[in-house]
Amino acid sequence: MSLIELRHVTKTYRKGEHVVTPLADVTLDVEKAEFFVLVGPSGSGKTTLLNLIAAIDRPDSGSIRVGDVELGTSSSSRLADWRAEHVGYVFQQANLVPVLTAYENVELPLYLFGLSAAERHRRVALALEAVGLADRATHLPKQLSGGQEQRVAIARAIVADPEILVADEPTGNLDHESAEGVLELLSRLHLERKKTVVMVTHDPRAARFGTRRMVLDKGILREEAAAR
Amino acid sequence: MKLAKLVGKNLRRRPMRTALTVLGVASAMLLFVLVESLSAGLDHALSGSESARTLIVYRENRYCPQTSFLPQWYGERIAKLPGVASVLPVKVYLNNCRASLDLVAFQGAPAEELLATRGLTLEAGAGERFVREKDSALVGRAFAARKNLAVGDNFRFGNIHVKVVGIFASDEPVEEGVILTHLEFLQRAGPVNRLGTVTQFEVKIDDATRAEAISAQIDDVLVGNTVLMSVQERVKEFGVFRTLGFRASHVAQLVVVESLALSLAGGALGFGLALLIIRFAHVSIGSEGVAIEFVTSPRLALLGLGVATVCGILASLAPAVRSARAEIVVSLRSA
Ligand SMILES: Nc1ncnc2c1ncn2[C@@H]1O[C@H](COP(=O)(O)OP(=O)(O)OP(=O)(O)O)[C@@H](O)[C@H]1O
Ligand SMILES: [Mg+2]
Repeated sequence: MSLIELRHVTKTYRKGEHVVTPLADVTLDVEKAEFFVLVGPSGSGKTTLLNLIAAIDRPDSGSIRVGDVELGTSSSSRLADWRAEHVGYVFQQANLVPVLTAYENVELPLYLFGLSAAERHRRVALALEAVGLADRATHLPKQLSGGQEQRVAIARAIVADPEILVADEPTGNLDHESAEGVLELLSRLHLERKKTVVMVTHDPRAARFGTRRMVLDKGILREEAAAR
Repeated sequence: MKLAKLVGKNLRRRPMRTALTVLGVASAMLLFVLVESLSAGLDHALSGSESARTLIVYRENRYCPQTSFLPQWYGERIAKLPGVASVLPVKVYLNNCRASLDLVAFQGAPAEELLATRGLTLEAGAGERFVREKDSALVGRAFAARKNLAVGDNFRFGNIHVKVVGIFASDEPVEEGVILTHLEFLQRAGPVNRLGTVTQFEVKIDDATRAEAISAQIDDVLVGNTVLMSVQERVKEFGVFRTLGFRASHVAQLVVVESLALSLAGGALGFGLALLIIRFAHVSIGSEGVAIEFVTSPRLALLGLGVATVCGILASLAPAVRSARAEIVVSLRSA
């Protein structure tokens, strides 16, 4: 059984009279420990698909199962608890809380678990170390470079040790070198910690890392080869 | 829960915003206490007197105006409250808060409204000229006598320079000691341009017995607004919190706890300021010979903090619910 299973998922947004259908009857399986790369033109529904997998949005029809949880029919608070435990989300912008230090940003998701201060400290330290920023713990986001901010965001996404990482153009705002660092970091999390990664990207270098690539175009998902 | 810790960090590390909000609440509290203590004083002073059918809620130059800046647009909000008949925004400029031997008190307000709401009788000069000329002034009878001023004179004080176009008598003895000018003129006159801020609002209400209820509502208007602003700029942040696994109820709690902390801090500060000001006021009012007493009491202190608490919670409810209800994906897309 695959870890992530989408069946005939459709999602539409209404903007006044205008109806947009970012996802039209999408069916997709992502296996455990896969590094799945999704590409496609702007506005094709990539973010929408990630949001559904991360359970911060709901499909209009079809079903989404992740592990043994049916996302479409669970209550909002159940989904929140599920996200805390099972998904780490990395946005295009780091989206760190500006008034919290790197350490405190990473600690944030751990507030949701009944952990002792010592245990929280241990996990935050590990996560910061994993992204190579142990020495930046006390810095505020504005004191970090874009690449460092994004790595803090990745530390925040992995601190609760979720099995799934979703990343929405995580290198989109970064210079060449920082982007390379972030991609390598995600790849390491995939290879060494067996994380299942679902990443949207336009970055051609990401091809080296992905175990599978698909194209989303006008709400239709297909193998990359077929697109060529 | 550890949410309180988050709130603490957020408040401490946005010191500017926190200070502004606390000051906003404090000024609301200040008004509340002054109004409350003053209305008690007025009741006292006017009992048995026929002179006041209208309770004037906010009084002029009874406290140090240098410390009171209120956004002028609060006035529009207050005017919409039920039971409020009129709102006059007033800028006060005093030469000195403490010493009252040679008190020079300017008050600026929109000219026509000023003439309409204050019970002034012009003994010399013309109201139309006052309305027309932006640098003109009406001078109270007592002050004119003290300074030997007549219509047509110029009066200069510091860098405020006005043309005297009228001398007035008033039902209120204290008013005869002041100089009335245009609001904008006085806002621009100080060392710092204070356009958009006023010292106080003079709120006339329909029914004197409802003074307490109305002042509580005014408080609510002012607190509510600051909470709303602090929440709107953080829509996206809350979207991120929710993505991390915070429940809608957690976000709502964050908003409520933060608002409560701000209200209590502002409430305590405002009450402290009010006490100080009331002390000052005693000094200068005494010398102006006005028989109005501020009455403060432990009861009023408790009432004030109670109001701050309740307002803090009430004011945060709508923003809290809105933050919690917002769809995560929509929050994340907001700038
Ligand atoms: N919350 C929303 N409300 C209304 N329309 C939306 C919403 N979210 C997405 N859309 C619309 O759905 C379509 C797909 O959006 P989506 O963000 O999934 O595209 P994308 O493939 O991620 O694009 P990009 O590469 O630019 O990030 C777009 O037309 C977008 O305007
Ligand atoms: Mg997108």
